[in-house]
Amino acid sequence: MKFINLLKKELKDLLSAQTIMGMVITLVIFYGLGTIMGDVMEKAMSSSEITVCDEDNTTFTNSVLQAIENQGNKVIKVSPSDQSDPAKLMKNINSDSLVIIPEGFTKTVLEDKKQAELKFINVMRNSSLSGTISSEKNSAVIDIIKEAVSSTLLLNYGLSDNDITTVKEPVLVKDITVIKDRSAEISYSAVSSLTMMQNMFLPIVIFILVMFSSQMIISAISTEKIDKTLETLLSAPVSRISVLLAKMLAAAIVAMLNAGVYMIGFSKYMNGMTGGAIEKISSSAEVSKMLSSLGLQFAPADYVLLGLQMFMTLLISLGVALILGAMVNDAKSAQTLIMPIMLCAMLPYLLSMFTSINSLPLGIKILIYLIPFTHTFTATDNLMFDNMTIFWGGFAYQVILFIIIMFFAVRLFTSDKIFTASLNFMQKSRAKRQINSDR
Amino acid sequence: MPVLEAKGLTKQYTKVLAANDVSFSIEKGEIFALIGPNGAGKTTTIRMISTLIKPTAGDAIVNGFSILQNPEKVRENITYLPDEAGAYKSMTGKAYLNFMAGIFANDPQMAKEYVQKAEKICGLGERLDEKISGYSRGMIRKLLLARAVMTSPALAILDEPTSGLDVINALEIRKMIKELAAGGMSFLLSSHNMLEIEFVSDKVGIITGGKLMVTGRPNELKERYNAANLEEVFERVVKEHEIH
Repeated sequence: MKFINLLKKELKDLLSAQTIMGMVITLVIFYGLGTIMGDVMEKAMSSSEITVCDEDNTTFTNSVLQAIENQGNKVIKVSPSDQSDPAKLMKNINSDSLVIIPEGFTKTVLEDKKQAELKFINVMRNSSLSGTISSEKNSAVIDIIKEAVSSTLLLNYGLSDNDITTVKEPVLVKDITVIKDRSAEISYSAVSSLTMMQNMFLPIVIFILVMFSSQMIISAISTEKIDKTLETLLSAPVSRISVLLAKMLAAAIVAMLNAGVYMIGFSKYMNGMTGGAIEKISSSAEVSKMLSSLGLQFAPADYVLLGLQMFMTLLISLGVALILGAMVNDAKSAQTLIMPIMLCAMLPYLLSMFTSINSLPLGIKILIYLIPFTHTFTATDNLMFDNMTIFWGGFAYQVILFIIIMFFAVRLFTSDKIFTASLNFMQKSRAKRQINSDR
Repeated sequence: MPVLEAKGLTKQYTKVLAANDVSFSIEKGEIFALIGPNGAGKTTTIRMISTLIKPTAGDAIVNGFSILQNPEKVRENITYLPDEAGAYKSMTGKAYLNFMAGIFANDPQMAKEYVQKAEKICGLGERLDEKISGYSRGMIRKLLLARAVMTSPALAILDEPTSGLDVINALEIRKMIKELAAGGMSFLLSSHNMLEIEFVSDKVGIITGGKLMVTGRPNELKERYNAANLEEVFERVVKEHEIH
């Protein structure tokens, strides 16, 4: 009953109105962003509209434009009178891109049999992701035109449609990607884009979670110490271990709750962003089946292992935060104590964003793997690519480290050190004075 | 049998001897005050008796239980109110009392009785339904004091119970302590305000430099040292020990 009472108090303390509000706001922001991003991406990825100014206006250019339309693109024809100032021109026609087929284009291609020149004007409106996608879409426009010109040209030379296809694509590539002992008929680039999209948000969630839960417990325990409510509690008929466990358990519950909120919110956000893109990357509806056959799609058991890994990382960060928080004597130091945990989480976080930690040179890899949080950052990769030895080795290392941390936490809580130990960086003299006046 | 018997309590930190062979006893219904300047060793002695820190040497027996052998049993017989202690600011006064009662009581009925008693003692009335963050220093002290005595412990240990309070609040708290002692509860107080403690305590112990110099009833000590008040007693005790 006493433990439940302690746990309830800790949970109430951590789940304040502000914390719950924070979770709700996080969810709303992610959902909102997801919806907005979904719309933006859909717009950016929508089928090509090509604005063309055909100054040549011959049977050949008309059949090129017809070929473009036949490929499912929309051709908007414009005839601007003044072309001297491109900026003014684009403003007048109210478009972001314009292809100008100059007079004499047909003659150069058909009669002179030379490379003809096209003018391609683009308006850059922003430097965001949707802007980048627009630019990729614009380059595709040129590919479509080139394709249409060469096909029309080959038809003019008397080649049949079949001949044209053979000339243009003499080789048909059948992609097979192998992962460990499994293989599937899917291109390497498609697999890599899909897995990247699937996994890119996980490190962010882990990082935020480690930081959030550590800060939460450091502030909770340091406030108890500074307000001397910890002294009151430890002089009551309740074991010190249960005080410690109630704090750890409550922090872990709140951290898992936050993890859930971040997972749901972030997956909504990523769905909005990548939903359209994934459909475009692969026309095949069999993609998820392919990923499954490669072992790249997680089964429920994999999710359990991932969850276990994340929980272990959380427990370690909570244990370290508990020890650090218990050594604080003033609120200012409590804020700076998160630094060592932040650095330890930031290193694997940044590395996992730019490279695969498993592909680093052995020495550096070992050093990075000594940071317990790293094992969670690499867990998805290890599970996907069946590196189970590294996965379970990392898990065992985390368990051992957690036992050691808890050993020190219990020793700290059951000894005088909980009241005498101090970690006041750069404020040692002040801390000493405090101890002396307490005597 | 005394409620508390401290026997040669000593605490040696790495460089500082914070308490040096401190011995004294407290009888049932007695108010004993440890007095001395800041850094004299009062809080260290009190923390040892409260089982928060372990003595380097010596022992203390609380209601028949040793702080070394049976710290859990000792904690069932005491309550401790630290100097300048706060309470959980996000809780209401009532929620705080409920939580603390749940820690001390063995069943819900007992917890309920504790809370009812505390509500009566603290005199905060409807303000108990408000969050502690809105309380004044005096209100928090009254709430904590009520919490410390609601379980009717054999020994209530109060470190600087009136420090930082205005005259009215200090008077109310002193009155509260005297009434509870009359009902049979024993108190161990500490204070650096020697004049104030003269009015509330039955017995005082003068401590300085970690050493308990002398114990006795305030009037006896004033007579023995031919002093007008406890401050003068303290001055003479210190001088006497310097000469010896």
